[in-house]
Amino acid sequence: MGLLGWVTLLPLFGAALILLVPQEEESIHRGLGLLTAIVTFVVSLLMLSGFDAGQAGFQLEVNRSWIAPLGIRFHLGVDGISLWLVMLTTFLIPVTLLSPQAIGIRNIRVREFTAAMLILETGMIGAFLALDLFVFYVFWELMLIPMYFIIGIWGGERRFYAAIKFVIYTLVGSLLMLVAILYLYAQFHAATGGYSFDYAQLSHLSLPASAQMYCFFAFALAFAIKVPIFPLHTWLPDAHVEAPTGGSVILAGVMLKFGTYGLLRFALPLFPLAAAQAAPLIAILAVIGIVYGALMAFVQDDAKKLVAYSSVSHLGFVVLGILTLNPTGIQGAVYQMLAHGISTGGLFLGVGLLYDRRHSRKLSDFGGLWAKTPVFAACLLVIVLASVGLPGLCGFVGEFLVLIGTFTAQKLWGPAGLTGYFPAPKLMGGIAATSVIISAMYLLGMYQRLMFGPLDKPENRAVRDIHGAETWVFGIMVTAAIVMGLAPQPILNRSEKSVEAFVASYRDRLQEAKRNPDVPPHIYPPLPAAAAEGGGTP
Amino acid sequence: MSFDATQLFAYAPMLILIGMGCLILLAETFAQGASRAGLAWLGIAGCVGALIAIVAGWAGAAEPTTHFQGMLVVDRMALFLDGTFVAAALLTLLFAPPYLREQGFEFGEFYAMVLFATAGMVMVIHATHLVSLLIGIETMSLAAYVLTGCWRRSLRSAEGAIKYFLMGAFATGFLVYGMAMVYGTTGGELSYAGIASKVPQATKSPLFYLGEYFILVALGFKVAAVPFHMWAPDAYEGAPTPVTGFMAAGVKAAAFGAIVRLLGSAFASPLLVFDFTGWASVLAVLAAATMTLGNLAAIRQDNVKRLLAYSSISHAGYLLIGVVASGLGVASAKPAVLFYLASYTFTTLGAFGVVAWIGNRSDERLYVDDWAGVGTARPAVALAMTLFLLSLGGVPPTGGFFGKFYLFRAAMESPQLHWLVVVAVVNSMVSVYYYLRVVVSMYFRDSTRALAPTEGATMRLGLLLTAIAVVLLGIFPGTVVEWAGSIALK
Repeated sequence: MGLLGWVTLLPLFGAALILLVPQEEESIHRGLGLLTAIVTFVVSLLMLSGFDAGQAGFQLEVNRSWIAPLGIRFHLGVDGISLWLVMLTTFLIPVTLLSPQAIGIRNIRVREFTAAMLILETGMIGAFLALDLFVFYVFWELMLIPMYFIIGIWGGERRFYAAIKFVIYTLVGSLLMLVAILYLYAQFHAATGGYSFDYAQLSHLSLPASAQMYCFFAFALAFAIKVPIFPLHTWLPDAHVEAPTGGSVILAGVMLKFGTYGLLRFALPLFPLAAAQAAPLIAILAVIGIVYGALMAFVQDDAKKLVAYSSVSHLGFVVLGILTLNPTGIQGAVYQMLAHGISTGGLFLGVGLLYDRRHSRKLSDFGGLWAKTPVFAACLLVIVLASVGLPGLCGFVGEFLVLIGTFTAQKLWGPAGLTGYFPAPKLMGGIAATSVIISAMYLLGMYQRLMFGPLDKPENRAVRDIHGAETWVFGIMVTAAIVMGLAPQPILNRSEKSVEAFVASYRDRLQEAKRNPDVPPHIYPPLPAAAAEGGGTP
Repeated sequence: MSFDATQLFAYAPMLILIGMGCLILLAETFAQGASRAGLAWLGIAGCVGALIAIVAGWAGAAEPTTHFQGMLVVDRMALFLDGTFVAAALLTLLFAPPYLREQGFEFGEFYAMVLFATAGMVMVIHATHLVSLLIGIETMSLAAYVLTGCWRRSLRSAEGAIKYFLMGAFATGFLVYGMAMVYGTTGGELSYAGIASKVPQATKSPLFYLGEYFILVALGFKVAAVPFHMWAPDAYEGAPTPVTGFMAAGVKAAAFGAIVRLLGSAFASPLLVFDFTGWASVLAVLAAATMTLGNLAAIRQDNVKRLLAYSSISHAGYLLIGVVASGLGVASAKPAVLFYLASYTFTTLGAFGVVAWIGNRSDERLYVDDWAGVGTARPAVALAMTLFLLSLGGVPPTGGFFGKFYLFRAAMESPQLHWLVVVAVVNSMVSVYYYLRVVVSMYFRDSTRALAPTEGATMRLGLLLTAIAVVLLGIFPGTVVEWAGSIALK
């Protein structure tokens, strides 16, 4: 099945095993779940060690026939971009399962919760690694169902509403994406005579300008909802606030990245011309989202909502970085995705811990906890500062690279005759940069209202510091935030080649599409001889 | 032209079903009390025998052969759907006995009627002549009316049966009237091939178009396509639940098979397909209307049976897309329709099987709110129902997803149908909302009253089989796609 097949399917097997253990044996469920997640992490470390940083293309590929009559292949592969996102997933799942607060205060049905988290992990890893659009779509939808149950069963007061809203929003995008995938498939057949959903082959298909626009719209809508890009973000505060801690950590830590990853992997390279034409709009929406999310976070009293809106703001940076379409900006975007996974995951774990202790998320109910929970306060401080983007912690690297990329966007693209598509980079970068200040205001403000001030609420006197497994959870998150802040180079080195190759190929395909905007679907650049033979019969 | 007895071997599945049905009727007169349960096993044995006959005939059916002066044909498409019908009958016979016993109307005739209806469906799909089509439809429908009304204690069952019967009789009237007009305008042709050869002359008369559309109206009634769907929710709600599943899956599949065959041969001429009055554009509009109305009505239902009834109307809409695509010359559209029918059959039977399971004599638990807490009390059944609902909604990894995927893929090959695919996709989205309402109730709400479902080993077996089939069709659809695809190679 190959290393990547194992990384993808191990959690699913673990989930099946857990579901076979009788309902009452909660400690076995927890133990088996954690064990599966750790084994998956170890296997993903093998993937990391087997990854050759010097190569730009996909590595460790698994390519087996799946549904032969339709030319559908179980094709997985990893490159420098998906490598780290998979690592983030396999890292966050065991940490979340280790956390006693993951399941939330409705501490019921541990078996189903653990199984749902592991099925979710399979869906996420599979979607990051998929190189066949059908496989990608199946894994993409596979994520939806466990998350729906996680919000709906273990969530808060308004969990039905939040769960349904989450599903409907996601489906709106993904079903239109499915239509676009089918359209690509039909056009690929028209252009070559072969049937294939393979990414490597479909990314050679060059569509006329109008068709690109429709397809890009369908893909970008699916991903924009997932990110979420303003104004499609309204599901996010609901889902995050109602989801149990574990759900919020994974939702913010990993699932939101599918939006940005999808833009980078699919929407841009498959439809280069439409992407370039839509770039100004998306860039402006991203900047609006950055500022809007930050301002919304600033006025929240609910700590979880605050963190949720901060995600809107931080993910806006990622989108902006991707749209700069220069290696620096995209490297920054990739790094920011990872850093956001760590810092926001940590913030949700912290808020979840407080909710577990106090059954409240209102900042006004807290104050002066520093004296009672010194270890927790120290851990949370590191995570908050990482999220703010303090140099030396993980959040700084990504934001910094994105801003550099934004300021230099024009300089790189001007000589290629593509000046118009990223308007006023200095202005956009400048506006985006203000949110760094606002984020310091709301995050430090949150920290201050939680930890400092007088310990004047009687309920807060009994709050217990982190202990046992919680110490491990926060210890691991803090370590990750510091290591990623101090030593970003090992990560950036491994993604560098893939990002550069992405930019070069995008630029090449964009110029070709600009030269021939009205040519019917055709293949550019020519398919390599070996790949052209693949594909099935009708 | 003499009657050749060897031709009968080609129709072994149908003959086995009819023979076993007669045997059950005979045995019923001798059966007392508990031994009536054995009658269901006779029926199951008949279905297994028919399945074996279908498998045995599969290899020889690569080339279509017609029999009885062009009345009937044996080909891969017919055998594929035969397998679907017989599987539907088999599952119905697994679900029904515990249900009938619980509700207190366990009669041997029930099982016989299921087999007769199945034999009628087999006839419908083998028919290549309007008369044999009529015979098949009537055999199927009469048995279905009886099955709908056989729950004599229940007023709703009687009401459903009457409505179904009256509307069905009306539809038969359309069919026969349409046949007469086609007969008259083609100069005495009723076989599909004969009609096709006379189309150029026949189209000089507007009566021919009228006849064509009358026949389509009759079949539209049977598949419950808008605007001929009014009977469906009442009949589905009133019928004993295992029968509802059988009707929603089998009868619909048979009628779709007939539509595909009729439009693919008798009315396949470009003169009839294209243009404003051609059936492709008419059916495309009906497809959009059917799925949209079915889904919008389903959103408002609180009764799970009615909800599934409206959802089955919307599925007729999706299937019509495949019919239109095949009319527009997409080669993979027919296999896609067949695959969709197969996966839809298993999903629907499974879903209605759970509906039959959940209630008991005094408490049918048909409302969405009654399903609260099933997820905690009976996780395995709740999981199965979730699978069926996700499959109906078209969410991977289920047969329903792959069926939709395959169907939409076929439709996307025809540029005229892109709009219809978008409409269908938007509809799928809407449908997920109401399917998930049931899931919400099962998992997210706490039980209001104790669950006392209708237990039975055969019912559990039936649910297990359908659930496995739905997952397998979703994850490894390749084999079935190849079977369905082999009809296009002739």
